[in-house]
Amino acid sequence: MSKFQTSIHEYLETLPLQTFNRLYQKPATCLAIFRLLPPLGKQIVMSSLYVDTPITVADMKLWFKGGAGSAKHKEAMQRLKALNIFAEERGNYTMNATFLEQFRNALTGGGNSQSFGLATSTPDKHHVDVAFLDEFATKQWEAILHYMVGTTQGSAPCAGVMNLLLRSGLMTGGHRGDAENMDVMDFASQMARQDLAPKITHKGFQFLLQDINTQVWAFLLQYLSMAESLNMDLVEVLTFFFQLGSLELGNDYSSETLTPTQTQMLEDLKAYGIVYQRKRGSRRFYPTRLATTLTSGTPVLLGSHPSASRNAAGAGRKSEEDEEDDHGFIVMETNYRIYAYTDSPLQIAVLNLFVHLRDRFPNMVTGVVTRDSIRRALSKGITAEQIITYLNAHAHAQMRKHSPILPLTVVDQIRLWEIEKNRLRPQASWLYSQFSRPQDFDSTLQYASELGVVLWSNAKRRLIAITAEGHQAVGAYVRKLIARHKEQQAAQTQQQQQQRYQQPATSVVS
Amino acid sequence: MKDTSTSEDDSNLLVIVIDTNPFEWEHPSAPLKLNQALQHILAFMNAHLAGRHDNKLAVIASHVGVSKFLYPTLNELTPGSKVQTKKDANVYQVFKVVNDAVISGISRLLQDPGPTLQEKDLGSSKIAASLSLGLCYINQAVRSDGMGHVKARILVLTVSPDSSSDYIPIMNCIFSAQKANIPIDVCKIWGEDAVFLQQAAHITEGIYMRPDDPQGLLQILMFSFLPDMFSRNYLYLPGQDQVDFRAACFCHKKIVDIGYVCSVCLSIFCSFSPVCSTCKTKFAFQPLLPSARRLVKGAASSPSSPRPSTPAI
Repeated sequence: MSKFQTSIHEYLETLPLQTFNRLYQKPATCLAIFRLLPPLGKQIVMSSLYVDTPITVADMKLWFKGGAGSAKHKEAMQRLKALNIFAEERGNYTMNATFLEQFRNALTGGGNSQSFGLATSTPDKHHVDVAFLDEFATKQWEAILHYMVGTTQGSAPCAGVMNLLLRSGLMTGGHRGDAENMDVMDFASQMARQDLAPKITHKGFQFLLQDINTQVWAFLLQYLSMAESLNMDLVEVLTFFFQLGSLELGNDYSSETLTPTQTQMLEDLKAYGIVYQRKRGSRRFYPTRLATTLTSGTPVLLGSHPSASRNAAGAGRKSEEDEEDDHGFIVMETNYRIYAYTDSPLQIAVLNLFVHLRDRFPNMVTGVVTRDSIRRALSKGITAEQIITYLNAHAHAQMRKHSPILPLTVVDQIRLWEIEKNRLRPQASWLYSQFSRPQDFDSTLQYASELGVVLWSNAKRRLIAITAEGHQAVGAYVRKLIARHKEQQAAQTQQQQQQRYQQPATSVVS
Repeated sequence: MKDTSTSEDDSNLLVIVIDTNPFEWEHPSAPLKLNQALQHILAFMNAHLAGRHDNKLAVIASHVGVSKFLYPTLNELTPGSKVQTKKDANVYQVFKVVNDAVISGISRLLQDPGPTLQEKDLGSSKIAASLSLGLCYINQAVRSDGMGHVKARILVLTVSPDSSSDYIPIMNCIFSAQKANIPIDVCKIWGEDAVFLQQAAHITEGIYMRPDDPQGLLQILMFSFLPDMFSRNYLYLPGQDQVDFRAACFCHKKIVDIGYVCSVCLSIFCSFSPVCSTCKTKFAFQPLLPSARRLVKGAASSPSSPRPSTPAI
C-alpha cells in the first residue's frame, strides 16, 4: 500500500459515523473508498454484497486459512470497521446499509445520483486535448514545487496556494502563529510589504522527495482541514475529490450539477493543476491527469509502465511514454556517481538536496553522493529511506533492467550514514550510586534486572542506571534495604548512605 | 523461470469465456436464460474492474461454430468509436464501456445466423478455440507488461456438454496454461459435469464449480471466482474432491474409460489398430480379442471413482 493511501485512510478513520453515512450516499465515493481497502477487505465486501442475511463472525472466520490468512482477515476487518463499512453486533457482521445500497448501484449502474460526473451535452468550442491538459497540470504543479525550492522560474503561486503551504507547515513565513487567524489577502500584502519570503521547512524537504500522488493527497488533506474553518461542507469536499478520481481524462464535464461549495473548489483546484477551466465561471471543466489518478494508487506521472496503468481505451498512451522519459532520468553507478538526464531546474534543485553536483551540461548534470552530501540532507530532516525511494522512482530506463535497480553498495552506504547519526539516544533515567556494601549493590542489581529496568551498571564503581519507569519499584526496594539495615544496626550510627541523583543520563547504545 | 510469487500490487487480467450456445440457453428446461445470466455476469465484471484501477478484462464469446472477442474489440482501439458510447453520470465510465461492448457483441452474435452450421457443431460451443484466443491475449498482455505485475487467469462460464471432438485442442490449451501459470477457473452453470474442463481446472490449479442453484449465480461468482491470485493464498475456496480423468479416443472421439495407448506417442484409441494413426508406428503383436472386448467401454458408463489416464498431447 502506498503512502498516500495510508494518509487518506488515517484521515477518513477520524470521521464520525454520520459523516460516513452521508459520504456513502454517492456511488462514486463508495467505489473510491472501496479501492482504498486491502485486497482481502475488498474480497470480504464483495463476498457479502449479495448475501441478504448477516454473516456470523464464526462463519467468516472459516473463509480464511489459518496462520497468515487469519492475520490478514483481522487486519482487513479492522479497516472495514474503522471505515464503518461493517459493524459487529451480537456475533454478526452487518454491512452499512447505505454503503450496501450505493455500492450495488455503483456496480450495476442503478440509482440516479449523478456522482460519476455529468458530461456536457454540447461540444466545446475551445476543446483542449490530453497533451494540453498534461502540460497544464505539470506547469501548475511544478510552479508550486519551484516556489518551494526557491528557484526563480515562473511566478509566485496565488494566495490560496501560499496559504496552504504555510498552513501545512511545508514552508514557514516567520510568523506562522498569526497566519492562522489572518485573512489570506492581508497576509499576502503584509508579506509583500515586509519582503518576508517564506522558507522551506524540514517537512517541505521531505515533501519534495515524495511521489506526485502522495504530494497531491497531502495538499488535498490540508485543504480538507482548512475547509472546515472556511465553513465548507466536509462531505461535499470529499465527495468531489472522489468524483474527480472517477472521471475520464480528456473529456469535459458540466459544472452545472455541482454545489456552490464545489464550484468554489474548482477555482482552488485549478490553481493546483488538478482541473482545468478555461475561464472563471465557465460551465465546463476538464479533469487533468492529477485528478484522474487520484484514487488509482498508480503514480502515473512518475515512471510507471504505460501498459500497466492504462485501460484498453488507449487514450493518452503516447503522452504517457513521453512523460516516462521525463521522469526516469537518474543513472547511478556503484562508485557513487550520479548522472541525471534532466534540464529541469526543479529536478536539479531536488537532487542538490542530497547529491554533491559537479558538472552541468545542456541535458544532464553529474554529481557524486558523498558522506557530507547525505549528512546535509539528513540534517534537514530527510531520511535515508526517502532518498532511496526517490532514486528508485526516478531511475533511468536502463537502470530498471537490473535487479535491484540501485547498486546495493550505495543503498547500504546511505543507510549506514544515517545510522551513523543515531549513535546517541537520550533516555530519561535515574542513577543509583554510593552503595556502601557490595551485597546491597548486588541485590539491588539483581532485583532491578529481574524487572528488566537496568539500562547500564558498573560493579566496580557500584553504579546502576535505572529507567524512569523502573525508578519507583527500585527506589522502594532500596528504601526497604536501608530500613532493614537500620534495624540491624539500631545502636550504631548509620554508615551507609545512599543517594539518588535525579538527572537525565545519556547511555551509549552502539 | 516464470515468476509465480504474488503481491498486493499486482494488477489482474481476467479473461472470461462465456458460452453463448443458444441451443442450451434457450432450452425449455434451462433454469436461467441468457439475458438473466448476463446481468449477473456483467455485475461480476464490474466487481472485477472495481477491485483495482489497473485490473483488466477480456471477454470472449464461445458461440456455436465461432468464437469471438466481445471486449476489447478491434474498433475499441480506433479513435472515434469512443464518441458512440453516450455518457451516463450514474455509471462509472469504465464499467459502461465494457458492459455496452459485451451486450452489443452478444446481441450481434445472436442475431447473425452465422456461417452454415455443420451437423456436428450443433449443441456444442467452441470452448477450445476461445481458450486459445484467451491464452494468446494473455501472452500478449504479459509480454507487453515486462515488469511481471500482471497476473492473468481465465474463467470459463459454460452450459454446453463436452464435445469430444474438442478433446485434443482443449488438452493442448490446458497444458499451455499450466506451463504459463495461468489458472483456468470453470463454472458449469448447470447440467452434467464438464469432464474436460474439470480436468482443466484440476491441472492448472483453478477452481471448478457446478452450483446447486444457478439462480444465485452472482453470489457464486463473487464468492468463489472473484478472489485474485494474491487473495487466494489466504482463502479457502471450493475444491474438487473427485475429478473425472477420462479421455477421448483419437480415432472416433469417444470418451473412454479404458482404451489402447500407443507406446510411442501416447495417443489413445478405443479399438486396436495395427498402425498408430498419429505416429505411424507399426505394432507387431495382436491383442487378446476376448479381453479387449471386455476392456473397451463407451462413454455411457461413467466411473464411480476417478481413474487416472494418460493425458494426450
